[in-house]
Amino acid sequence: MTGGPVGIVANPASGKDIRRLVARASVFDNQEKAAIVARAFVGAIAAGATSFRYLPDRYGIVAQAIPDAGVDADVAPVDSPDTDSALDTIRAAAQFRDLGCAVVLTLGGDGTNRAVARGWRDAPLVAISTGTNNVFPRMIEGTVAGAAAGLVASGAIALAEVARPAKLVTVTVDGERDDLALVDAVLVDERFLGARAIWDASRLRVAVLTRAEPASVGVSAIGGLLRPLGERDPGGLALDFGSGGVLVDAPIAPGLYQTVPVRRVRPLAEGEPVVVEGPGVLALDGERERVLKQGQRAILSVVPDGPRVVDVRQTLHVAACRGLFRAAPEGRDGD
Amino acid sequence: MDVDRNVLLDLHRRMVRIRVFEEEAGKLMEAARVPGALHLYVGEEAVAAGVMANLTDDDQITSTHRGHGHLVAKGGDFKRMYAELFGRATGYNKGKGGSMHVCDMEIGMLGANGIVGAGPPIAIGAAFSDRYRGTSNVAVTFFGDGASNEGGVHEAANIAALWKLPGLFVCEYNGYGEFTPPARHQAIRDVADRAAGYGMPGVVVDGMDVIAVYEATREAVARARRGDGPTLLECKTYRFYDHVGIRGMGVSYRTDDEVLQWRKRDPVALLEAHLADAQILSSDDARAVHDEVRAEALAAVAFAESSPFPEPHELLEDVYDTSLPAPDEAPR
Amino acid sequence: MTTAEATTSRKLTYVAAIADGLRCALREDPLVFVAGEDIAGYGGVFGHTRGLLAEFGPTRVLDTPISEAGIIGLGVGAAATGCRPVIDIMFMDFMGECGDEILNQMAKMRYMFGGKARLPMTVTTMAGAGMNLAAQHSQSLEAWFCHIPGLKVVMPATPYDAKGLLLAAVRDDNPVVVVFNKRSLGMQGDVPEAAYAVELGRANIVRAGTNFTVVATGRMVHEALAAAMALAQDGLDLEVVDPRTLQPLDIETIVASVRKTHRALVVHEAVRFGGFGAEVAAQIQELAFDHLDAPVGRVGAPFAPVPFSPALEKLYVPNADRIAAEVRRVVGLQV
Ligand SMILES: Cc1ncc(C[n+]2csc(CCOP(=O)(O)OP(=O)(O)O)c2C)c(N)n1
Ligand SMILES: [Mg+2]
Repeated sequence: MTGGPVGIVANPASGKDIRRLVARASVFDNQEKAAIVARAFVGAIAAGATSFRYLPDRYGIVAQAIPDAGVDADVAPVDSPDTDSALDTIRAAAQFRDLGCAVVLTLGGDGTNRAVARGWRDAPLVAISTGTNNVFPRMIEGTVAGAAAGLVASGAIALAEVARPAKLVTVTVDGERDDLALVDAVLVDERFLGARAIWDASRLRVAVLTRAEPASVGVSAIGGLLRPLGERDPGGLALDFGSGGVLVDAPIAPGLYQTVPVRRVRPLAEGEPVVVEGPGVLALDGERERVLKQGQRAILSVVPDGPRVVDVRQTLHVAACRGLFRAAPEGRDGD
Repeated sequence: MDVDRNVLLDLHRRMVRIRVFEEEAGKLMEAARVPGALHLYVGEEAVAAGVMANLTDDDQITSTHRGHGHLVAKGGDFKRMYAELFGRATGYNKGKGGSMHVCDMEIGMLGANGIVGAGPPIAIGAAFSDRYRGTSNVAVTFFGDGASNEGGVHEAANIAALWKLPGLFVCEYNGYGEFTPPARHQAIRDVADRAAGYGMPGVVVDGMDVIAVYEATREAVARARRGDGPTLLECKTYRFYDHVGIRGMGVSYRTDDEVLQWRKRDPVALLEAHLADAQILSSDDARAVHDEVRAEALAAVAFAESSPFPEPHELLEDVYDTSLPAPDEAPR
Repeated sequence: MTTAEATTSRKLTYVAAIADGLRCALREDPLVFVAGEDIAGYGGVFGHTRGLLAEFGPTRVLDTPISEAGIIGLGVGAAATGCRPVIDIMFMDFMGECGDEILNQMAKMRYMFGGKARLPMTVTTMAGAGMNLAAQHSQSLEAWFCHIPGLKVVMPATPYDAKGLLLAAVRDDNPVVVVFNKRSLGMQGDVPEAAYAVELGRANIVRAGTNFTVVATGRMVHEALAAAMALAQDGLDLEVVDPRTLQPLDIETIVASVRKTHRALVVHEAVRFGGFGAEVAAQIQELAFDHLDAPVGRVGAPFAPVPFSPALEKLYVPNADRIAAEVRRVVGLQV
């Protein structure tokens, strides 16, 4: 049985952007995140985890929860460049890999998990959603997510039994493969990163999706309502926006439907390149990330070897079948 | 979501005006050419500019002790502003208010304020009146991270949300209340987290990025004008200078490194870089804006400094809006 | 005077004497704590709490949020339950923020509760104009507090009194408001090293004289002394009385002086109308009418907020010249 520490990243910035204003998203406050981490600690320890490494965030989300890990747990921070940006998460993920973490527990949205994947491409992930319109992480109770992480970390259940690699979109700009998206990479007709989120469908130009889920919110939902593609189906989906095709009513942000003109929907084979050209802004997993100048090209393609995502339900199911949580009978002799 | 070219140039000019106004004001204070204490806005320009570019002269704002930037961004006149800092009769407040009370009621600037947290309750009154009088105006209140812990701020936010007043609460989160960081002021770190408790949307934006502030404000103001109620908009920013005056480096309560890190994200430089990249404004043209504004500032300083002081009779005037004699006679 | 004459004295500034007084209070009673805005880490914006954090630590010297209502309430609750708090309100003008806690809670709790509550708390604050800080950072509002039954009010004029009145306030089992003057901060004076109290309710004859009584409070004591020097040439021998404690007022000392001199003037920095001087003048007239050769004069600020412009502020704040002129007017000399 090979285990390792649980890595923890809790993004203090998730769940606070402009979509609370332009759509109907809720504020995800940091105290709630700290409470989730506390519950995850308890769950993980109940499941046998003993060692934890975490990204020290500026708001002390994890630090506040440490007392809940109890005095016996080995909990220590990794080094952080303390930029209060995604860079901190990217660096932490790389350290988790080097430290031999068995699993990484994330609290955040698509963007948080994307940053982990940038630091550790195939990180083993238990992803709890504390963001806005998240497709990648799940809404799941922290106690249970912690227990799943603990089962993997203690080595009681092998990662390969309960995790599958997620797809991702690789982003190559000027010949350099320098970014990725877990759900969607979208060219939008913008010049600036501004308030980061995207909430105006008329600005969408081209999207490349790893998954097109009709039961989600965001660009993935647009694809999903036209041509569903599951997280486990091979390949991806490309959408060209604009008139001359179909109109679809899709929730592009929480509580916000817009009618989106989609000119073309085409399936993508694994690795098939989609070339987009500036001017515009590349939005990755829902956030404007990178300005493309006039004529500047980006190549987007869907590949299968992203983070290994732990299926929390399945992990606990396996644990139940194996009786992993059965307490030793207490003083019952002659039974 | 896109921001028009003219708006971008307008944002730039507003920011440069604040920067230059404050740089010159700071020099005046250091040289003891103006009396009293100045709380400078340098570093936080993107907040005032990004918000104000969404307002008309009929929309009102309430400000703070750090109020020059708000008035400049709202369209304040350099001459009357500097004259006020000099305590001259030609100043916005006839020299009676000074830096901490500078106002221009004609363009909806309801005054800088010496009392921390005093703005939000007044702003909701303006918002109430905007609706009561049947206008489509909005009222915006600026308050600091420190101010966010004053009771009146919470009371105002509650009333505004309850009555869906056409208001906007802008928290200028600059990392300090005087010399104390928010970590020692409040158990939470994002003031916007409180929005849910008031019953209004809460949003955090990068307060060094004027486009982000502009976009968020545009949506919040539109929401307020539609009658959908107030918004709490928290802008993460930083004051480059000290609580009062210029210094701000080599001080006991924050590290120089911290200041240098934030200075790398100088909001004026950030916007200028964007504008150059987008071929909207070259660095030469940007420089020309600075030069032009500086010339205006220097002329305004000269005007202010050569203006007369208020006459002695001014002392007892403006206490009441009436010509009746005051209850007390001349000073003894 | 209940001085510690036996111990050594040294020259201290007014501001250092305040810090010295707080230090003595913290040393002599473990139930004393000091709380206020920027008073710990920074040592007070006026420097009056410098060094206290280092000596007594963060459980006894506390930076608070900018929440005046909250911190006065904190003092009331802590005092009622056994502590001896000192709460600092940076500028007297900010007392408006905590009006209820002072006038309805702190002042009245004991009486309303039938004498069952004890409120040994001290509120310290800075008053005074003359520094171009305009209408909200310059006021002298002591009359407000003198008007509220249940409160005691002191106004130290010298470094010696700053320390001694502060210590007396802290030792007193009633709520006491200590009003310092920000323009006196740099003033030097002899201050004993030992802890000592200047008895509350005891006036100080700072200059003995024979034919005119000036009752002056706070920084105006020094202006009155300067006026006395100037008037000596006119054959006027001023007796200057500093009540030190405004509530409860040592009217006996004042009346005794008036019986001797037959003329009186009351001077304060606060607005004349409805000021503390009105009370003193009324009591003198009640108690020594037959001894008066002229109506009691009053010098105070005109009925206007404190103006910012130096040109106006210099007309606003009472000074030695205005006091001398008013003395002359009372005695019927040409001004
Ligand atoms: C009611 C009140 N309390 C205290 C003060 C003293 N004071 C002036 S500015 C300030 C800090 C305010 O901090 P913040 O609201 O964050 O604004 P910033 O100075 O950072 O812009 C304090 C405590 C005041 N002016 N008014
Ligand atoms: Mg602040």
